[in-house]
Amino acid sequence: MNKDIDIKKLRLNCYRQSKEVGKFMLQMRVPGGFIDAKYLSIVQHIAQTYGDGNFHFGTRQTFNITGIPYENIPEVNKYLEQYIEEVETCLCDVNMNTIAGEEAYWEPQSGYPTIGARNITACIGNYHCICGNINTFELARKIESIIFPSHYHIKINISGCPNDCNKAHMCDFGIIGVARMEYHPERCIACGACVKACEKGATRVLSLNENLGRIEKDACCCVGCGECVRACPTSAWTRQETPFYRVIIGGRTGRQTPRAGKMFLNWATEDVILNTLKNWQKFSAYVMDNKPEYLHGGHLIDRAGYKKFKEIILDGVKLNPECLVAENIFWDETEYRSNFNVKPINLHK
Amino acid sequence: MGYKFNFADADRLFCNIFDKYDIYAPKKFPKQGRYSDTDIIKYAKINSINEIEFHIKSDYSAKEVLNPINETLFYFIENEFRESSAPKKPILLFARPCDINAIEIQSKIFEENGEFSDIYFTRIKNNLKFVLMDCNGGDDTCFCVSMNSNFTDNWAIAIKQLENEYLLSIKDSEFTSDFENCEQTDFSPEFVQQNTLSVNIKEIPNKEVLNKLKEHPFWLEYDKRCISCGSCTVSCPTCTCFTTRDIIYSENPKVGERKRVYASCQIEGFDQMAGQKEIRNKASERMRYKVLHKYHDYKERFKTKHMCVGCGRCIHRCPEAISIVSTLEKMNNAIDEILNKDIQE
Ligand code: SF4
Ligand code: SF4
Ligand code: SF4
Ligand code: SF4
Ligand code: SF4
Repeated sequence: MNKDIDIKKLRLNCYRQSKEVGKFMLQMRVPGGFIDAKYLSIVQHIAQTYGDGNFHFGTRQTFNITGIPYENIPEVNKYLEQYIEEVETCLCDVNMNTIAGEEAYWEPQSGYPTIGARNITACIGNYHCICGNINTFELARKIESIIFPSHYHIKINISGCPNDCNKAHMCDFGIIGVARMEYHPERCIACGACVKACEKGATRVLSLNENLGRIEKDACCCVGCGECVRACPTSAWTRQETPFYRVIIGGRTGRQTPRAGKMFLNWATEDVILNTLKNWQKFSAYVMDNKPEYLHGGHLIDRAGYKKFKEIILDGVKLNPECLVAENIFWDETEYRSNFNVKPINLHK
Repeated sequence: MGYKFNFADADRLFCNIFDKYDIYAPKKFPKQGRYSDTDIIKYAKINSINEIEFHIKSDYSAKEVLNPINETLFYFIENEFRESSAPKKPILLFARPCDINAIEIQSKIFEENGEFSDIYFTRIKNNLKFVLMDCNGGDDTCFCVSMNSNFTDNWAIAIKQLENEYLLSIKDSEFTSDFENCEQTDFSPEFVQQNTLSVNIKEIPNKEVLNKLKEHPFWLEYDKRCISCGSCTVSCPTCTCFTTRDIIYSENPKVGERKRVYASCQIEGFDQMAGQKEIRNKASERMRYKVLHKYHDYKERFKTKHMCVGCGRCIHRCPEAISIVSTLEKMNNAIDEILNKDIQE
């Protein structure tokens, strides 16, 4: 098939090349993976009018529409105007006329301007889930306006609780909703349900002091999941009113060195999370010398070294008093090939 | 006759009462619910009338004021002991009709069950007056009308909160002077006539049927569903079971305090005896025990109403969505089935 198509440009426009030359898959952003069901008809319309009639749940919670012929892309982009306006501008307060925080004109009928900062994924969180500590999609919508549009890559996954259904451990910047607990001894009947719940479902940090008829807690190792609160029949355990967050960085999948992320911040407030993310562009620009490459956050942290990452990403961020920060991080990668990192010096990045 | 005053004036009008009484009422504790971003409403000592949650039924009942979850009975050192002291001030307790009726049931158990009356309960109850909170019929777990607990005349003051003002009616002359300068209106409390939920409780005619009912397989469902957490009994305004616990402050086991702490017939180990034997070691058996106590045994013993006041809290608090009303319907069917079989035989 004789086609002359700028594939790389289309990728930035969120159209992914397919096996069949000239056919593309559109990826529509759904920040936090949660949206009014009325938009499904838009998805259906695009798929049936411009694509091959099919739809895929994107692994990053995008609406993926397959089989869109190259010729249809301008029409699809025009049609997308309303969706982008409603979701990005209205719902998430994104300034579409910027790229990485810098002013940049965006033509509203030209589709998505960047693919770098990926769709923020989230579990359903406490909008629905009985385990959730936070409203995940509301957080995703707040973050969307900080990271998008941008050519700098970042994958953010949000989980409502340490159960981490949404794999915050497997992305660049994973956020987990946690709660700090309050114990009301005057309500405790020493039934031991919280002890059992923590042992079975969490970290085994609770024990019953029979002499005092009270629960004792090894607070340093509590993961803030809230299983104890759910188990307690008397509300002797409650969550503090302010939600807190744990940040896991540098996780990734991939062909070379997949690894689970490691804890960077614990017990951070929402402000700390948002302000930290505001430094993401700056950090990426520093590592890549202001030239965005197709390189994810974990790799950037590797290049800069964790300490440099920490310095830039926390620059100007006022940490809440409870917030803990990793002094150092020691990664634990899967090396598909042993001594993967030992190579000719000219191949070092 | 009644009175009317707006929110801003409430605390000024109640100021003498606040001086003389400790006022306890249902209060909302934001985000302290079982699930995140949900609230809990429980009884607490309040400092302003406007702190009170008037419209949503409390998750935990008014019994906590007379019968606290943890209560120190006495302190001991070697062979001596000192009784805990009674509350210093009398108590004014804001409660809905179901809760006021429930306190009367608590009183039956604590004061009229057996030879002696429980001084810890009595010393609070005898120094307590009720403020009847207007109840609009509650939520969809309430069935007080079915349990004859929608009405009470055990109150000193009756109160209703409107959008910007309170309506008050006074029965106890002690409080009349506090409100005599208020605007008068013809408010008197009205009682719920109908709940969305209702239930008909079948009487168990005799011991034979009772025994067959105990063996009926419908209870077994709860082995699979009930997690034996005790949320239902803790929140139940008529559950009174407690255990005693000695708190030892240090290595010396002879210095400490004796407390009583709520116990729950639904939690494993409730009836464990000295030899470790438990009588009801299955959730279904514990459920049967609770249900029969509420809707048969208590009435059998005291020859009054059933124990349950139909407040619906056990339904509301159950994390496994077990409704005692559905359980009762199943029990009714089981009784019918037993009676019909008897006729056929
Ligand atoms: S991560 Fe937690 S909140 Fe999210 S779906 Fe899983 S259990 Fe629920
Ligand atoms: S919040 Fe902490 S104490 Fe409670 S169950 Fe989870 S790990 Fe255990
Ligand atoms: S579950 Fe609640 S009442 Fe039971 S021991 Fe734990 S804190 Fe105390
Ligand atoms: S059994 Fe349930 S409905 Fe009846 S009084 Fe107790 S909590 Fe209320
Ligand atoms: S609250 Fe529900 S699950 Fe818990 S003991 Fe009562 S009936 Fe069983």
